Amino acid sequence: MANTPRFLGRLPILPIAVLMLVLVMPALLADVIAPHDPFKAYLRNRLQPPLFFGGTAEFILGTDRLGRDILSRIMHGARYALVISLVGIILGAIVGTVLGLIAGYVRGVVDALIMRVVDITFALPSILLALALASVSGPSFQLVILVVVFVIWGFFARQVRAETLILRERDFVARARVAGASDIRILRKYILPNIINTIVVLATLQIGVVIVLEATLSFLGIGIPRPIPAWGLLVADGRQLIVSSWWISFFPGMAILLTVLSVNMLGDSLRDWLDPKLRQV
Amino acid sequence: MLRFIFTRLSHMLIALFVITVIVFSLSHLTGSPIDALLPDDATQQQIDSLTEHLGLDRPYYVQYLTFLQNAAVGDFGDSTKWKGNTAAAVVLERLPATLKLGGLAVLISVVVAIPLGVLSAVWRGSVFDRMAGVIALLGQSFPAFWLGIILMWIFAVMLGWFPTSGYGGLSYMILPAIAMAWFQIAALTRLTRSAMLEVLDTEYVKLARVKGVNERSVIWKHAFRNAAIVPVTYFGVLAGSLLTGSVVVETVFAWPGTGLLAIDAIRGRDFPVVQSVVMFFAVFYLLANFLVDVLYAVVDPRIRFS
Amino acid sequence: MFTLKLITPAVLGSFLIAAVGTVPVQAQTIEMVMSPPAVETNRYWNTPGDFALGPSMQGLVGHDPVTGAYDNSGLAESWSHNDDFTVWTFKLKPEAEFHFGWGAVTAADVVHSLALHTGPDTTLNGISQLEGAVAEAIDDHTVTFTLPAPQVDFLFVHGGRGSLVIYSKAQFDKEGLEGYDAKPAGTANLQYVERNIGQGLTFEKVENHWSGQDAQYDRLELNFVAEPATTLAQLLSKEADIVILPRELQGDALGAGFKAIPSTNASNQTTMLFNGTFLLPGYDGLDETLPWLDIRIREAINRSIDRQAVIDVLYDGRAEILPVFGMDPRHEGYVPELAERFEAAYGYDLEKAQALMAEAGYPESFSNPVIPILSSTLAGNPEFPAMAELMQVFLDEAGFQTEIVEMDWASLGGLRSAREAKMFHPMRNLPVKPSAVGIRNYYSATGGPRNNYEDEVIEGLMEKYMVSIDVDERNELAGAIFTRVFEQYAVAPLASISAEVIVNPETVSAWTFPGTTSVGVSHFGSIVPAN
Repeated sequence: MANTPRFLGRLPILPIAVLMLVLVMPALLADVIAPHDPFKAYLRNRLQPPLFFGGTAEFILGTDRLGRDILSRIMHGARYALVISLVGIILGAIVGTVLGLIAGYVRGVVDALIMRVVDITFALPSILLALALASVSGPSFQLVILVVVFVIWGFFARQVRAETLILRERDFVARARVAGASDIRILRKYILPNIINTIVVLATLQIGVVIVLEATLSFLGIGIPRPIPAWGLLVADGRQLIVSSWWISFFPGMAILLTVLSVNMLGDSLRDWLDPKLRQV
Repeated sequence: MLRFIFTRLSHMLIALFVITVIVFSLSHLTGSPIDALLPDDATQQQIDSLTEHLGLDRPYYVQYLTFLQNAAVGDFGDSTKWKGNTAAAVVLERLPATLKLGGLAVLISVVVAIPLGVLSAVWRGSVFDRMAGVIALLGQSFPAFWLGIILMWIFAVMLGWFPTSGYGGLSYMILPAIAMAWFQIAALTRLTRSAMLEVLDTEYVKLARVKGVNERSVIWKHAFRNAAIVPVTYFGVLAGSLLTGSVVVETVFAWPGTGLLAIDAIRGRDFPVVQSVVMFFAVFYLLANFLVDVLYAVVDPRIRFS
Repeated sequence: MFTLKLITPAVLGSFLIAAVGTVPVQAQTIEMVMSPPAVETNRYWNTPGDFALGPSMQGLVGHDPVTGAYDNSGLAESWSHNDDFTVWTFKLKPEAEFHFGWGAVTAADVVHSLALHTGPDTTLNGISQLEGAVAEAIDDHTVTFTLPAPQVDFLFVHGGRGSLVIYSKAQFDKEGLEGYDAKPAGTANLQYVERNIGQGLTFEKVENHWSGQDAQYDRLELNFVAEPATTLAQLLSKEADIVILPRELQGDALGAGFKAIPSTNASNQTTMLFNGTFLLPGYDGLDETLPWLDIRIREAINRSIDRQAVIDVLYDGRAEILPVFGMDPRHEGYVPELAERFEAAYGYDLEKAQALMAEAGYPESFSNPVIPILSSTLAGNPEFPAMAELMQVFLDEAGFQTEIVEMDWASLGGLRSAREAKMFHPMRNLPVKPSAVGIRNYYSATGGPRNNYEDEVIEGLMEKYMVSIDVDERNELAGAIFTRVFEQYAVAPLASISAEVIVNPETVSAWTFPGTTSVGVSHFGSIVPAN
């Protein structure tokens, strides 16, 4: 923790501010601060342009094809962006870390087995898998989470395994083993704390991947089911009207862009601070 | 070395076998091709006779074994959606389009990302470094379909520089290739930058500088040559994600490649084509990674024994 | 670069003049963009009725481009039927010829085509009309169809939306199905050039066509584009001359100076179905928890829908209110009185809807009060997701509990085959069909398993209707069925719309088509290029 003050000094203020403004605050406070009900359709006010583009202050960012307030929908959408990223990444990180630790620590057949599974998940085109699964059970929140976990767990597993392989040969681990520490204890007390930084950095960098992935799934019609105003769905739904009613897709698109950009910049800073050697993409 | 290659190859085969099981069960889970093929007013008689005609009334394991046996010799059966063609023929016909587009996308990402990464490392912390970082990151921040549509509207409809979409020569490929490549540029830039930073920090490069070798040749000859292996290892991942990216970009740009084919096949419940596309994607990915591994082992012998 | 581009046609032109010695007519290609068909194949019987072969292939019967009525612009010059409509005789045009030198069209080609179209692999729409039909060649140019049951509407099978197009037997005998896969010979004034899977099809003009009417342009390219935004981009950048565009995007094109050409007649009907309303006594597959089994709920839902808003939101304001899904003035059983009663019986009235719900005890008396609304993806019906959300808005407003269920069209097909599609769901736009076909598909047990509504009264009427060969009686029976459907609120009819294409007026000046195929367009050979 000795590093903390130095890091605070170099804290990327702008990305954090943007994240608070676009993602975190709306996610927590949407019910209070959103000017309208995100599901309420004002059919008489369909396709209203944003304020300053011929619109009114009632609908600052305009309305969509059913007359729903874009700003309110983006604010409520932030909640889903946040939940999907957090749940998906935490699950993915846990699965990946546990399997990575086991593979790297136990080695041998178990390691080979786990790594083949990683190979297989990378080799299967995730989008096509998602399409197939969606036609079995229909698109759902759970499906999106499942796809997220499927896509990211392998990155964690590979990285954690690689570091575990190195750490398990280090002196302090050998000493603990001689002292009679159990495997579980060694993993928990000696190995995990040394790779937690890597996991945190990786997880931060995955947030952007997850948000963009959710949008892609929505484009293919298998994202978060309507009428939930998930960002990806908002962009995907508005893309057809990009000429005449550009605001429908533009503002949610900007929300995605700003969030992902900020998260990645934050991730880069975190890496420089916590784990400069990490090369993971 | 031979042993290493042999082990990696056998790993690949095991993975492929597991993938056939997954692909087969998933495609059959999605329902029946007759649901997609038959018209909305299908009669019971029509349903029954088509089910029998397509052999869908046989037990699953029989269908799987037939599939496996035929797949081993590259025969995935007849397409149900593109009647009159074998599934493999449908995939092969669409393959060149995807490879061309993917190839150009790789080229663009390399040509942009490598210099960007190298120079960012050299001028670490400068305005250039930061700008390069943001430009690279931008590509990861757009959903590819949205980026594609925006590029199309700006450069094809408004400016008229390129055709909007469709299959054709280089001018048709540029916009979709950029839409596909931009996402990769961020990753590749980061990798190159961090690898360069590491190498620039080594005694060997410092020594070259002390010796008075000029700066350009220090960077490109001494440092980059040693750092280059790192981005090379990324090509395995790149190959996989380009294939996935093709699904979206080909749809937007009406580019008749395997990505578009895959979506159509899944929506149309064309099991033979779904199976051959996914198997092709998997083989392609595994092969690319196998080559990267071998290459890496050649360059860095320690790998072989780890 | 640019100068080179400008010069080339001129240089080429003068070269042609020098070489041929005639005034060069610039080769004209019409580029048309549409969404990809469900199945891409040259074997028509393996499609649900794919119109993409329409430019080159013909059936026995044609349609008048203006009225849409059956006429002899197809391969038959005349036809007749016996008194009970079980034997139909067609006289083929002696001058009709297949492309690529495969010879004259004969009765043997018709017999051969019927066999192909009714084989085990057929996936054609409306194939039940050909079930058990036996074709017989009387002489080279006379063919009879003997039917197991009377069919008043038998011409439908041979027309634009029908199930039988004529392939060459000579080509089949020589080349087999592979010949069709490579280059099927048709008979229209455009002939097949090539198909690029995933991209589209190319046709070219037949010089000196046997019909005496040559196409006024040289080539037709049908290009498949799945993304509507991309289709619009192709039109605005003038790469495409004709596009089929979702209504939602048409305003953008019209605003930029492009022109809409509608079919000369209303072409499609749109609706939401209360699937699972199987009210025949003794049917044990009935799910009694479905709230819309109660007619008051069906009426309340119908009255919650503001149809004018539907037309504005989904159809860009250009559509008519539809009184009964399946009923059309051009076909049997049209009851004008129902159109007059529509406002009183189905008009948007939230108070009435809520009163009905209260009377039915909604939601307390229902074990499963949630109305699942389907949102689906289906090429040709891009409005489905917006439609689902709009329906949810209306129903929520009235106080219904709703949920949107997303699934693709094939999954819905599977559920319908299993009679498990217990949803308030849209139907693929119904191309106007003979009343008997519509009634069978949607309101009668004879349309099983994929029908959505059944009741005793309709079944009784249907029994008589199916065997009746008296024109007046049939008209009365069909009218009685439509009245019953109307009064039972059996479905939620939405709108009647015409098929529309958007054209670039610089390259296409006119196209008259009657809206008689599944996507609405036909008569490709009569597209008039602008000069």
